[in-house]
Amino acid sequence: MARYGMVMDMRLCVGCQACMAACSMENQTPYWNGKFRTHVEDIEHGSYPDVRREFLPRLCMHCENTPCLSACPSGATYKTEDGIIRINYDRCMGCYACSIACPYDARYPYDRNDVSTAETLYGDDLSHRAPHVDKCSFCEHRVQEGLKPGCAGTCPTNARIFGDLDDPQSEVHKLSKTGKAKPLRPELGTAPKVFYIPS
Amino acid sequence: MSFVHQDVWHWQIATYLFLGGLGGATVAIGAMLHMFENGDKKIISAAVLSAIGFMVIGTIFLLADMLQPLKAIYALTNPRSWIFWGVVFINIYFLASIAYVIPLLKSWPRLEPLISKLPQKILALLERFNKMAALGGATAGFLVAIYTGLLISSAPAISFWNTPALPLLFVFSAFSTGAAFLLLLFTFSREEGSWAIVQKLEQLDAALIVTELIILGAYFNFAFFLPTGARESASILFETPMFVYGFLGLGLLLPLLIETYSIFFSGHAKSSAFLMVTAGSLVLVGGFLLRYYVLHAGVFQYPW
Repeated sequence: MARYGMVMDMRLCVGCQACMAACSMENQTPYWNGKFRTHVEDIEHGSYPDVRREFLPRLCMHCENTPCLSACPSGATYKTEDGIIRINYDRCMGCYACSIACPYDARYPYDRNDVSTAETLYGDDLSHRAPHVDKCSFCEHRVQEGLKPGCAGTCPTNARIFGDLDDPQSEVHKLSKTGKAKPLRPELGTAPKVFYIPS
Repeated sequence: MSFVHQDVWHWQIATYLFLGGLGGATVAIGAMLHMFENGDKKIISAAVLSAIGFMVIGTIFLLADMLQPLKAIYALTNPRSWIFWGVVFINIYFLASIAYVIPLLKSWPRLEPLISKLPQKILALLERFNKMAALGGATAGFLVAIYTGLLISSAPAISFWNTPALPLLFVFSAFSTGAAFLLLLFTFSREEGSWAIVQKLEQLDAALIVTELIILGAYFNFAFFLPTGARESASILFETPMFVYGFLGLGLLLPLLIETYSIFFSGHAKSSAFLMVTAGSLVLVGGFLLRYYVLHAGVFQYPW
């Protein structure tokens, strides 16, 4: 039983957004409507001439103290044995309580129109068969095959590191335990499992 | 740090919140008027029936706003969710209020023959447990009014909502709208004791509005304190004319002024009835505007 998490090395992210593209393809997300499971924030610090630009890749933090799971009345949002937060598309009623509860802007609506378009694009391979609220699943289907999530697999600079936080040999364990990589908004008590190395 | 407006709960949810609070509070106050003030049964039954209707309409708006309303049957799965409890409270409300109102409807001559057509055993049960149904409806009504505030205040990253003052605000506002609605209806009652009830409702509503204003004062004072999303939300609201003049002005201050004048300076006169109806209507509009603007001003504080 693992405890999956990620580390984002912001020193390495160049803002190419390949992760967004890979994720969209891997998970059939409605990129045609500008909706993604993961984003890369383009942040500018300071003002001329002391300006600095950094890129912050973000996605579902798969929190251990999960606000979206508490908020979901139907149990559509659930936690797997490996700490991955998943959504059961057949139980989700689309009340958006989870979207309101999430402090990390991880969720978006996969609505009726998105399902129609996806049906046209993906045919029998369609994975989103009903409208629901969607978010990153750490590509559980890939992880189960021993692969990295689509975003981590595609990142050209290895800015996205995926692994088992409980495995002392893993990069994510070492970086998060030593405090080199820190979570976002720890004061909320959500215990997110995605950590950041500042640029 | 960036501030982003919540993009999922809009006027449809505001309508549900308003009608839910109004429906809940109307039954609660109406039941009290029936049991302690011997209020005009025709008016109370009309109020409770309307309240049930409001709750139905509100629920329709709520369901219509979901991606998959038919899946709402699964909502009774996770008791850690406030929506779970909302479903529980609303169902108890419907059962209790319908049970409560049926015997009351016999006070309407045109409905009396219809009600009498119900099986005698059931009617007898409903009449025997009428007080219990009233209390059940009143409690459930209060719970419906407060759970909406508890649900919205549970959002950890929307600091404008994430305060214990929000459920308090919603409850006081809901009861103010309930009192206003009953005030409107009782103005048309021809029973002898009804004028006294109208005056009591007026006093109640005025007291509730004053309490609302105190809560709002504390609420905004706190929101403006630190540079959080709450401050952003509060600034946006104070820059929105419809919030300032519509909700605060027409929805709270003007009805309070009218009610204060009516309580202290005017007597039992037809012109007063006009003022009551005006004040009552303004309070109802204000109740909707409050919920609309609270939702509208919900701003996430993101750490990027």
